[in-house]
Amino acid sequence: MSPKQLETQYDVVIVGAGAAGLSASLGLVRSDRFAQMKEEGRTPRILVISKLQPLRSHTGSAEGGIAASLGSIDHDDWHWHFYDTIKGSDWLADQDMAEILAKEAPATVIGLEHDGVAFSRTEDGHIAQRLFGGHTAEFGKQPVRRTAYAADRIGHQILHALWQQCVKEGVEFAEEWYVSDLVVERDGNGHTTARGLVVIDTHSGKVHGVNARNIVLATGGAGRLFHTTSNSWDLTGDGMALALEAGLQLEDTEFVQFHPTGLAHTGILLSEAARGEGGRLLNADGEHFMDRYAPGHGDLAARDVVSRSIVAEVDAGRGVADPKDPNGPKDCVWLDLTGIGEQTLKEKLPEVCDTVREYAGLDPAHDLIPIKPTAHYTMGGIPITADGNVYEWVDGSRRIVDGLYAAGECSCVSVHGANRLGANSLLDACLFGSRTGAAIANAIADDPMAGVPDEELIDVDSTAVDDAADNRERGIKALLQPANADADDNDSDADNADDANGGAQTDDNPYRLMADLGALMERHAAVRCDHDGIATALATIDDTLAPRAERLHAHSDTAAYNQELTAILEARHLVTLATVMLAASDAREESRGSLYRTDHPQRDDERFLAHSMVTRDRGVAWQPVTITAYPPKARQY
Amino acid sequence: MTNAAVDRMLTVTLRVSRFTPKPERPGRRRGGSPFGSRSKSPFGGDAAAGRTNRARGKRWTQEYTLDVHASDSVLDCLLTVKREQDPSLAFRYSCGHGMCGSDAVAINGTPTLLCTAKVRDWVRPDTPGFVGDDGFRPTGEPVDADAHALDLDALDPDTTLVIELAALPGFPTQRDLIADIDPMLDQIRKLEPYLKASGDLQVTDEGKINAFEYLQNPEQLARYELLSNCIACGVCEGSCPVYAGGDAFVGPAAMIAASRFINDSRDGATASRLTALMEPDGARACQSVRACSMHCPKGIDVGEELWQTIQKVDAARVSSEAE
Repeated sequence: MSPKQLETQYDVVIVGAGAAGLSASLGLVRSDRFAQMKEEGRTPRILVISKLQPLRSHTGSAEGGIAASLGSIDHDDWHWHFYDTIKGSDWLADQDMAEILAKEAPATVIGLEHDGVAFSRTEDGHIAQRLFGGHTAEFGKQPVRRTAYAADRIGHQILHALWQQCVKEGVEFAEEWYVSDLVVERDGNGHTTARGLVVIDTHSGKVHGVNARNIVLATGGAGRLFHTTSNSWDLTGDGMALALEAGLQLEDTEFVQFHPTGLAHTGILLSEAARGEGGRLLNADGEHFMDRYAPGHGDLAARDVVSRSIVAEVDAGRGVADPKDPNGPKDCVWLDLTGIGEQTLKEKLPEVCDTVREYAGLDPAHDLIPIKPTAHYTMGGIPITADGNVYEWVDGSRRIVDGLYAAGECSCVSVHGANRLGANSLLDACLFGSRTGAAIANAIADDPMAGVPDEELIDVDSTAVDDAADNRERGIKALLQPANADADDNDSDADNADDANGGAQTDDNPYRLMADLGALMERHAAVRCDHDGIATALATIDDTLAPRAERLHAHSDTAAYNQELTAILEARHLVTLATVMLAASDAREESRGSLYRTDHPQRDDERFLAHSMVTRDRGVAWQPVTITAYPPKARQY
Repeated sequence: MTNAAVDRMLTVTLRVSRFTPKPERPGRRRGGSPFGSRSKSPFGGDAAAGRTNRARGKRWTQEYTLDVHASDSVLDCLLTVKREQDPSLAFRYSCGHGMCGSDAVAINGTPTLLCTAKVRDWVRPDTPGFVGDDGFRPTGEPVDADAHALDLDALDPDTTLVIELAALPGFPTQRDLIADIDPMLDQIRKLEPYLKASGDLQVTDEGKINAFEYLQNPEQLARYELLSNCIACGVCEGSCPVYAGGDAFVGPAAMIAASRFINDSRDGATASRLTALMEPDGARACQSVRACSMHCPKGIDVGEELWQTIQKVDAARVSSEAE
């Protein structure tokens, strides 16, 4: 679906159509202020732009659930959820934001139910809830059933229900449009205002400038930075990279959650239930090593602990190769389910067994399963306030970017801090997404230019957007030329690099580049890192990968459905994002949550009880954590 | 069969039906600026008109030969082709494990998902006279592909193995393996695929009505839960001989979406949903061929579900005519 024509100016453009983008759309069009504007005959012009058809969004892959202290089964209290979220974050979450998350969670889940989500139910018809790691009653005393679920398909249910509601509300979509540029203008005082976007309609390859008074970035995470990831192929950090390229900052990018048991070769998650039912992790020597790292917890220690232990074994030379690639790196360990017994496997772990059989060709009852930690969630992102406003951290205070908002995994309101609690990600996306939509409704209702008829639209200054669109159009044209057509004799640097890399490099492509970047990040930045590894990775990007990204050309000159064209821009986004992620990891000389620095293994609240704020030039500023209720303690489970 | 045999290496040729659309001729551009007023639409015309015209462009068949594991998915193979042989090959894909629904294509002529199709289940010898054990030349894949997969051990090692790939049938091809499935999504939207709650909400002591969920017990959930798992991939539509992305039949996917709400105890719009299916493109257009059930990646017996709904439509029609 594409708009029949673009408006001269949009009041709101939402980029991304997963849980966050769709929630923002609904939060906007269902608000009282929006209804009032419609009544006054000035219906706001709204467009949702997404690089995928909305139902393909990665939200649909979420399995576990969405947390809320509904108390359907166990007695629960939002204060406990609030506390668990902060503890899970290793005290890096902003506590005022975590409070909103926990307090508004029940209304959010009820709202989703009213939207049609087919939640699993209790016998008496209420929304069923189940146990999830880290969710407790009475401030850590005992586990509590807080996670609402829909079998193992909660993401699918939420995505489809939100899309269905958008169909009902008549929300307009531009599907399979890729945003290549975010246009913001900075005035003499350093004050920034969002002006619009440059987009590529992938159906035709045409470039359009889109003028917008308000923009929401809801583009999802960046799991594709790593070779092994549970994320879809489209999670290339586009929104985060757009913000960086527009001169804005990202917050806490060094925190990436790794799930310990990703199926080797694919990165597909094997549920924690596999270890809950008695699965054991073994190294190359057949040693059951987790008892050595986490006595008393063993294979069921916290996700980050297990991930680090696996990588430590691999680093010590006790890893195994993926049987699919017997001569490849020995970067896996075994998950042993053979002791569980065929009957139990069938009854308790059908999904896990299906996945292993389907995607590894192994039989869990008789074969060891190669696993390794898989990149799962980016805790950091575009810094936002409680209402979704994007801000810059300048001279010790927040400065709002006018008209720019963000929501979901690409944003960082900082409820997840250094480590996200399970079942809090859908909640973040839906809850803060809706809040953002409602906040924008308030903003445009007070904007005299919003929703007025075309002929009354005055002062639409589209110069900045037009210029950016012209630039991008020229760039696209160049990318569609064959690689050798623009060989520039004066560009000796590039020539030398080509020579040094041999003939193969001249037929480079973005898919190969993304694979190489993923392997590099996995080697130096996955699960654990140190200064030397980070420096090596940055040098490799600067010397090899970034120049390669700049030299890429499409292998077909037909612009329509030219996926390689989009992939080139995605690869460049990932390269940009990788450099700031590495820079922020290097600057944080401590270990906290998902970030483990082997050269700085302790948490350091003196220096780093703060959010990193990194810019494209790799400069890092620090924003103190907001602490309202619970002062930092050691994080123990 | 041992695992070693299952995961052997194979040399496979992917035979891909390719299509590159012809670029729009500059003279035919409809309007210049995308900022034109509503009346001067740069996208022009009516969407349906464009759909019926077969797109102009270059069509050809291209072969890619590669070494793969028998347990690899066909999507894995295509990603390898993109990375190592031909970055210009176009096909949709996203999650890679059967949840997003973006990668429905025809494999050996049968609609299914690239990411759930395994090489071992779809390779076949490249001999025109190839006959199966039963003495017949296979013309399509059986419902349970595993049961009828080739015995790879029995094959002459020099046999050329082929998998044929083409865009999802029933829809216009846009480029290579990318089909335009907007007709399906339009039809799903047409049947108002959203909960129209009957409104039995509990009220709090203070009179608040939105504080609680609609009650629904597990048995009521079970009546529509499987239907709600539909990922709108289009496999059922591409398998249906009646459906051709046109206006004659609203299609199995849209009817499944409608059935999902008809069977949801919270929904209060069953009567109007059934009435909508009384249109000529609705229940009556389905010929109960049941090809739609064969490869549903979510395991929905689409044909049976449609039959159940058609019976409800017929009953509603009879009772409305009686009035």
